[in-house]
Amino acid sequence: MDLSLILDVSDLTVGPVAPGSPPILDRISFRLNTSDIFGIYGESGAGKTILSRALANWLPESLAYRAGQVAFAGRDILNPDISEVRIGRDIAYIGSKPQSALDPTIAVGSQIAEKLHSVRPEWNRRECRERVMQLLGEVRIPSPKERYWDYPAKFSGGMMQRAMIVDAICAEPAVLIADNVTQPLDVTVGAQIVALLHDLCLRHRMATIYLSSSLPTLGQFGDRTAILYQGRFVEQQAFAELLAAPQTDYTRKAIASVPRMWSTAEGPLARRQAVGEVPLMQVQNVHRTYRARKRGTFNSYSHIQAVRGVTLDIMPRENFGIVGESGCGKSTLTRLLAWLEVPDQGSIVLNGTSLGSLSRGELIRKRNEFQLLLQDPYNALPPRTTVGRMIEESLLIRGSIPRAELRRRVIAAMAEVGLAAELYDQLPIALSTGERQRISIARALILDPKLLILDETLSALDQREQAKLIDLFSKLQEKNDLTYVFISHDLAMVRKVCTRIAVMYLGEMVEIADNRELFFDPQHPYTKALLSAAPTLEDKLFDPGDFLLEGEPPSPIDIRPGCSFASRCPKAFGRCRVETPKLVERSPGRLVACHLLDSSEVKAAA
Amino acid sequence: MLILEFLVKRIAQGLLIVFITSLLIFTLLRVVPGDPVRLIVGGMAPPDVVEKVANKMGLRDPIIVQYGRYMRGLLQADLGQSYLRPRSGMIATGGQYVDPTKSDMAPVTDLILERLPFTLQLGGMALLFALLISFPIGVAGGLHQHGWQNALAFAVQSLFVSIPNFWLAIVLILFLSVKLKLLPALGYQGFSYVLLPAIVLSVEIAPFIIRTLTTSLGEVMQSTFIDEARVRGLSRRRIVYSHALRNAAVPLVNLLGIQLSTLIGGVLVIEYIFDYPGLGNLTVVSVVGRDFPVIQGIAITTSAVFVFINIIVDLVAYMIDPRVEL
Amino acid sequence: MTATTVIAAQPEQAPSRIRSVNRRILLGAWRMPSFRIGLFIFLGLLLLSAIYPELSSISATKMIVKDKFLPPLWLGDKWAWEHPLGTDQLGRDMLMRSLIGLRYSLLVGIVTVLLIFIIGCGLGLFAGFKGKWWDTIIMRITDAQLSIPMIILAITILGVSRPTVPTIVIVLALSGWPLYARVARSAAVAERGKEYVRGLRVLGAGDWRILLLFAAPNILPPIAFVAVLDVARMMIFEAILGFLGLGIQPPTPSFGSMIADSRKYLINAWWIATIPGIFLAVALTSINLVGSALEKSRNRIYGGL
Repeated sequence: MDLSLILDVSDLTVGPVAPGSPPILDRISFRLNTSDIFGIYGESGAGKTILSRALANWLPESLAYRAGQVAFAGRDILNPDISEVRIGRDIAYIGSKPQSALDPTIAVGSQIAEKLHSVRPEWNRRECRERVMQLLGEVRIPSPKERYWDYPAKFSGGMMQRAMIVDAICAEPAVLIADNVTQPLDVTVGAQIVALLHDLCLRHRMATIYLSSSLPTLGQFGDRTAILYQGRFVEQQAFAELLAAPQTDYTRKAIASVPRMWSTAEGPLARRQAVGEVPLMQVQNVHRTYRARKRGTFNSYSHIQAVRGVTLDIMPRENFGIVGESGCGKSTLTRLLAWLEVPDQGSIVLNGTSLGSLSRGELIRKRNEFQLLLQDPYNALPPRTTVGRMIEESLLIRGSIPRAELRRRVIAAMAEVGLAAELYDQLPIALSTGERQRISIARALILDPKLLILDETLSALDQREQAKLIDLFSKLQEKNDLTYVFISHDLAMVRKVCTRIAVMYLGEMVEIADNRELFFDPQHPYTKALLSAAPTLEDKLFDPGDFLLEGEPPSPIDIRPGCSFASRCPKAFGRCRVETPKLVERSPGRLVACHLLDSSEVKAAA
Repeated sequence: MLILEFLVKRIAQGLLIVFITSLLIFTLLRVVPGDPVRLIVGGMAPPDVVEKVANKMGLRDPIIVQYGRYMRGLLQADLGQSYLRPRSGMIATGGQYVDPTKSDMAPVTDLILERLPFTLQLGGMALLFALLISFPIGVAGGLHQHGWQNALAFAVQSLFVSIPNFWLAIVLILFLSVKLKLLPALGYQGFSYVLLPAIVLSVEIAPFIIRTLTTSLGEVMQSTFIDEARVRGLSRRRIVYSHALRNAAVPLVNLLGIQLSTLIGGVLVIEYIFDYPGLGNLTVVSVVGRDFPVIQGIAITTSAVFVFINIIVDLVAYMIDPRVEL
Repeated sequence: MTATTVIAAQPEQAPSRIRSVNRRILLGAWRMPSFRIGLFIFLGLLLLSAIYPELSSISATKMIVKDKFLPPLWLGDKWAWEHPLGTDQLGRDMLMRSLIGLRYSLLVGIVTVLLIFIIGCGLGLFAGFKGKWWDTIIMRITDAQLSIPMIILAITILGVSRPTVPTIVIVLALSGWPLYARVARSAAVAERGKEYVRGLRVLGAGDWRILLLFAAPNILPPIAFVAVLDVARMMIFEAILGFLGLGIQPPTPSFGSMIADSRKYLINAWWIATIPGIFLAVALTSINLVGSALEKSRNRIYGGL
């Protein structure tokens, strides 16, 4: 195996063009041999992207190289006179935003072939095209020859990232720089990409630099890892050693901050149950289908079945979690639960009243009882409105109230969520993300609701802010007797907070169980796959290899009969493709929709 | 398949628009004061002569009936005959009048067809000149958002848009035609007669092209994919010409569709000033003379051209950028 | 958000973070020298056209035949101090006529744009926010209106009766409103999809409330900034109409009619055509400088947001 030195980085220092400001990267040094895989860990904002760009001689205009050298096979690539080393050919880069990486007006395959021909003009166009098609197949994009001619908009995030991988490796670079490539992707898709990339790097013998803000992902590569903190490498060791014996405080903190799902006894407190309880909200066989005109036709429509027959009960004072990946329909379900959209079939009953039976006026009054908190704290609040005015709006919609009384109630709501009264007349521009979310909470709380639906509300926050808000939520729950529904894709957060969890796939619930049962004894194959793909440093309960999914979730357009997971399930058998499994209570409080469990019961009974 | 369905849908819509426009103009002409018969028979004629001629011309029937008659003719590709122009020769002036019910008047279709090529030629040349000026300036301005190129583009565009077209026409005629004798001015006796009007018209069109190019090219150059193309190994030349310009072209193409109305207005005035024998000239004379059939015919032609060009514009936009909704 | 974007944006962000978007757009425009020059010239012309005719005793319309064809200051040999910019073919003072013409020009331009803004944006917002039937109907009307070029409409309506300022304004407004309706409509459609609208709906707010209290104040200012440019456009149209004889009727001076009349005297008394043209061009340039600076500033701020 060729172990020669291919990249020698010494004392690389990068900073803003304006002199006098502190550097962003400070004396970065490392060496890379052919076939090495080098991992770099950095929190968001630590400078990972700048480092990755600096290594590719691709700094943005506002930054400049201040010192140091990046030597590729002995030649300094930062020296403008050297034209033998070509970025794109010898050193390749994959970024974290695959969706905006290519020209949206030209076919994906054509653009990759164009790039290949630009950097390797000795290969003619036909050769380039064939090579690209072959590589598209190698990264497991189905029907590569047809997809070659598709436009970027038709590629999902995962598919596009695979295409960008092809774009990077097609010219046979000696060095590959992968910057946070799985960040925008779903867990299961991300896991596939990481495995794919690892495999390709080894097979094509590329020296790879993999940057990530997720330690567990770096763990999947396992080789030498560096920790980037405040622009410097504070530590550099093999990954296993790093975990076993971290040498700096920062590393220790970083390791500790990786969420633990199985090796901890932590979890939400059990729900206070009352005698003779009825569910606060009953969702009964709710369906929602969208009709979209098929592009390119006059009159034919495709039916997007976003929610297909969801039934669940939400008990008072519980923290109910709904998890799923993109495309599973949870956003639509959220809108239905908040009654922003009306289900085509089925009903939602809140506190004994069916929401569908209310008149407009009654509905507005009923809305006091259930409110929705949105994800994006920046866009969820009306622009150019002061904090106080935003919270007042909830009351003003329902009629006019004397000024003094209004102000009093708003300040009380603000106090309850921990917002200082001085913020009343201020615009939220200067506030932090956590504070903005508190405004959303305040304007919901002022109506004195019983149910709060949180749509990825904690996703935009960092660990600290998240912890603070979770604290606030439990305080409010005690005080006001609240029930929460958390909709999220973040398994770690759900593990920490939710008492009961439902797993959603392609518009249906595939499993509903209590927190510990779901995480420690998942029954449905999809749940197992989801959990095995979750990024964590702990030892997995089951071998991820058994549950690595292939491909992407099928599209919700014109769904075929049978189990929706059958196309990707490693354990699917004949019945799965024909009959849709029903959500059945297998043990008290545990519902699973899978034929496998029937078979095992049948086998057990036989 | 997609394109075929698009064409069918748009042509159907286009026919509807042409229909509505013609109905609007038709009604407007008959509702607004200004009796064509008066203008034909002259101010001195007694009222009963006016009535007699009007009745024979069918102008006293209810508007619906008149429109029905017109529509019938339209379906036979007959746009009617002019009220003012006889089949041969010029409009009568002075005290004379030509009674349209008695003499053989020029068919509107002929009048339009004989002038349409001139107008198209003028429009085409103007567009060509405008693009020749705007492209280099606009592209340079777009690529160097904070440089002198951008300031120059800004200055040129502000200047051009502030010059009233008729004033420029007069000034240019004075200097280029009369004083320096470089280009001919009025009428049409050869290709060179289209140049001066085209130059004036191009000054009217150019600022919008420059403005759109600098803004949209500037925006596109900020996109992630343009930035990333650099690290993928594409040369700057390729990035700008094969990708940036392509993406920037779509708003430009859309602009042309919208600016069409303004363009038509500009053509009218220019033709009038330069006495250029195109449709614009015909329009002015016909409207002033209340020559209904000609006005209606021109309105139909104009909106048909409008619809046609908008369809082409949308098609071209789709071919550049497949995300465009057809 | 990466470190690069923070660093690159830093110098500008710090002081202006507290101010509202509109103030930032105005400030951004103010920083551009072109904006200040344009504003200065425009205000100067405005004051001049408002004050000078009141102060001077010279009439813009009375014909003093003996004074005809006087050239402007220092040109030729017959110039006079009391007619600094010369006189026309009927002995009327060019400066006075140009300033009065400018008054009417500005009047028509500004009133028309106000009208277009109110009607166009009103209908556009309504169509965009309510959607469905209203949207389709209003958009089809704009299509039909757009396919009738202004000139044809003008000639048809104004070519018959004596054009007055109100009728000219109406004709111009009729041909101008569709563009604003379209722009307002697409802005409304975009606004409708924003998260905060959903947030307000969940609280129980109805469509109208959201539109009037929150969406409109967000949508209208950027359109208003660009509307400045249309004042210039309307002034040109008014001049064209005047040129064709469809504008403000003589003896009241208007740029278009002045230039039209002057064609006969181009060779001997070229200033009769040039002076009104220069006034108009300068006024238009100043408005265009102000409007373009506002547009550029708006694009920059919104692009960065």
